Amino acid sequence: MPRRSIALSIWALAIAASLVVGPAAPAAPERTSAGTVVFIHDQEPPSLRGGWLDNNLLATGLVTNNIWYGGQIYDNAARLQPRLFESKPKLVKTSPQTVTFKYKASAVWSDGKPVTCDDWKATWKVFVNPQFNVVSRTGYQDIKSVTCSGKAGTIVFSTPYAAWESLVSGGVYAAHVVRGKDMNQMFNNSIPVSSGPWKFQSWQRGVQLTLVKNPRFKVGPAMKLDRVVFRYIVDTNARFQALKAGEGHVMEPQPQLQIADFLNDKDFKVQSSPEYAFEHIDIQLGPRGHTALRLPYVRQALITGINRKQIASALFKTIAPGLPTLENLVFKPFEKASYQRHFQKWAFNPSAAISVLKGKGCTGGPDEPSTSNSNIFSCPGVGRLSFRFSTTTGNQLRLLAFEIIQRDLKSVGIELIPRFQTAGVLFGSTLPSSDWDLMMFTYGGGPDSKITSSSLYSCPSNRGDQNYGNYCNGKATTAFNAALRELDLTKRNALLNRGDAQLAVDLPSIPLFVRPKWVISAANLSGPLLNTTSEGTPWNAATWQLK
Amino acid sequence: MLSYVVRRLLYSVVVLVAASVLVFTFVSVSGDPLAQLRITPNLSQQSVQNVIDRKHLDDPIPVRYWYWAKDAVTNEFGTTLLGDRPILPDLWRVMKNTLQLVFIAEILAILIAVGIGVSSALRQYSVFDYTATTVSFLGLATPVFWLALMLQVLVVQIYEQTGHRIFPVASLNSVDPGSGIHFVLDRAHHLVLPVLVLMVASVASYSRYIRASMLEVLNSDYVRTARAKGLPEGRVTMKHAFRNALVPLVTLVGLSFGTLLGGAIVVETVFSLDGMGLYFVNALLANDPYPVMAWLMVTATMIIVFNLLVDIAYGYLDPRVRYE
Repeated sequence: MPRRSIALSIWALAIAASLVVGPAAPAAPERTSAGTVVFIHDQEPPSLRGGWLDNNLLATGLVTNNIWYGGQIYDNAARLQPRLFESKPKLVKTSPQTVTFKYKASAVWSDGKPVTCDDWKATWKVFVNPQFNVVSRTGYQDIKSVTCSGKAGTIVFSTPYAAWESLVSGGVYAAHVVRGKDMNQMFNNSIPVSSGPWKFQSWQRGVQLTLVKNPRFKVGPAMKLDRVVFRYIVDTNARFQALKAGEGHVMEPQPQLQIADFLNDKDFKVQSSPEYAFEHIDIQLGPRGHTALRLPYVRQALITGINRKQIASALFKTIAPGLPTLENLVFKPFEKASYQRHFQKWAFNPSAAISVLKGKGCTGGPDEPSTSNSNIFSCPGVGRLSFRFSTTTGNQLRLLAFEIIQRDLKSVGIELIPRFQTAGVLFGSTLPSSDWDLMMFTYGGGPDSKITSSSLYSCPSNRGDQNYGNYCNGKATTAFNAALRELDLTKRNALLNRGDAQLAVDLPSIPLFVRPKWVISAANLSGPLLNTTSEGTPWNAATWQLK
Repeated sequence: MLSYVVRRLLYSVVVLVAASVLVFTFVSVSGDPLAQLRITPNLSQQSVQNVIDRKHLDDPIPVRYWYWAKDAVTNEFGTTLLGDRPILPDLWRVMKNTLQLVFIAEILAILIAVGIGVSSALRQYSVFDYTATTVSFLGLATPVFWLALMLQVLVVQIYEQTGHRIFPVASLNSVDPGSGIHFVLDRAHHLVLPVLVLMVASVASYSRYIRASMLEVLNSDYVRTARAKGLPEGRVTMKHAFRNALVPLVTLVGLSFGTLLGGAIVVETVFSLDGMGLYFVNALLANDPYPVMAWLMVTATMIIVFNLLVDIAYGYLDPRVRYE
């Protein structure tokens, strides 16, 4: 056989194999439309069953928040705004806590059935069913009864639940879809109905998920776009390149230096704002940590020896300039009404760090701060101030933060020994074991997550189920535990601030900075507004428009 | 031959079982699969307990291995740790995608490498030979991830300068890929850059082997005899030399193909291709040992099968090899 024929045969074989083994093409070609927006995201949801053990992900919320639409949703100022509800739900009685709500008459599912209180009740039943692997039952498990009358409902709590408004306002499942079903197996690949502005159309696993306009959505502005397509691109660089190459219109990037490339690009608009997640260093006060850390003056030397302001600046000076130092472990700087700078008194002061150590009889350290110092303090009864510093491996920003912290503390006579571990080992084994000295990581959160401060900072034996640092102070515990059940927002915030003030005295943790969040959108797309809550950027997708 | 194949297959089963025991043990002791969950505020302990019970996470590793092995054999590799999602359908999907990528890349790489290798051998120490050698070493020395990133940057630069997107930089297909031949062409368009990256290293490597092998054969006695008998040079080269020179390449390609079917991890990650490599990376990131195990078993099987195929092919290509 001539060589040319051999080559042609092999080519034909390759193409034929490609046809045979290729995934089935869509039954009909999808219509290319000027009204299609492509949202590039890094993570693909494992299923569309949000709030589940395997799926407590922003990626899922981005898709489902506009399908399981909320009675109220968080706007871009983190305020709850009525959507399916006629008005804000009402707290009609505090003992027992009783809340009423009512859906709009125009609130209907995409299959034509009305959205009613029965849907809320069915959702409650899902979340309290012990067979179903929801990630959290908080709030739902405090409900004693739900009484329905068509669109209206009355919820009675068995114990007061402070975050009732966001709980009641959340998106609900359709009762006629979920009742009697094994929810652990529902919505693995699709969602049959929608109460929001868009509905599910198709999902090509590993590539993209397509949502289309829900024509029955009448409670708010109808979607101007025909479709929103979520494209899943895992690689960071590829995501940025794809956006630049016009393969997508909008993305919510993680903190990455590539964002800087878009800041002065006229073809893109970049929005940035601090979000609720914050970086901090926990200090181990339990028996498996370094004995010295149980001494308040050592913790004071630590926090005053670290230039926290410089860390935020060094990490984000290009992509989020002016990021403030976090001075409160409960409230964030943008929560202006409640944000009190309790930790501000521990501003960077290396001379003061040395003074406090020497004042307590520690010896062997430097007389004044020096970057070339190699003398480490030893303190009476606790030995050398040499601490294990644990954090996740593979995170360049954390590595840089560690280098700054290590250098700062070395200059005041405190040594840090890096103990970098994979997230699986760090959070799975090391953190719960309490066998560490200092640990730097991020706590996520949202507008309501502050009420769960009790879980992090109350005594481990009294609701502090995730207090792995073993901090225990009666005043802080009382304040945080009371906040969990306080229904009055002003009083609740006062309690939380009282608890935080105590944290700033005891220093079980060092707040560093609130992480910034970004949205990059193509200039030809109008509408995207950064939303730092779990609603994500698509919270107002109904108003998006391609120019 | 048949008894040899049967014996090899039986050995393979033993190898697979041993590999699965080792890998399962390593994966199990490498960290807590529920680690990420444990820092979730207000985590439902009941839900966590459901998973622990369902997956027997409280049991010793040998017991857990037994449950996994049972699931793998009777329940198509079972389900994922937290979501209880069947593993096999996802594995099939990504295998098909990887097969497309690897098959096209390998076929093209072989064709090009054979051309370069044979030409280099026939024109030893010529300008072409020196050029091919230099380019091959460059190809071997170029990190795959770097080349992939550079190609992406190049394509984006061209787009920004000209407004023309010559190749997509990520994913397997367009938002609207169409169907039938449109779908195939769209897929081919998306695979151009990944295939190119995969090919570079393969071409560089294969062409060196072919060149060396051809030179050895061309200098052998039977080729000299063929020439002395007056056979045309083309016939000597193609019929007497080329066929024998292919033998080492068969070994190399077979082993490489088997390994690549486990996923061209770097290429699939950089280009976000939904293949075996990316599946493995995602399973690792999710701390889910069950898809990791399934991936490892499939990959190990592929390597064993291709090893066997190479050995069998040897018997046909080289008359001196006989299997008892």
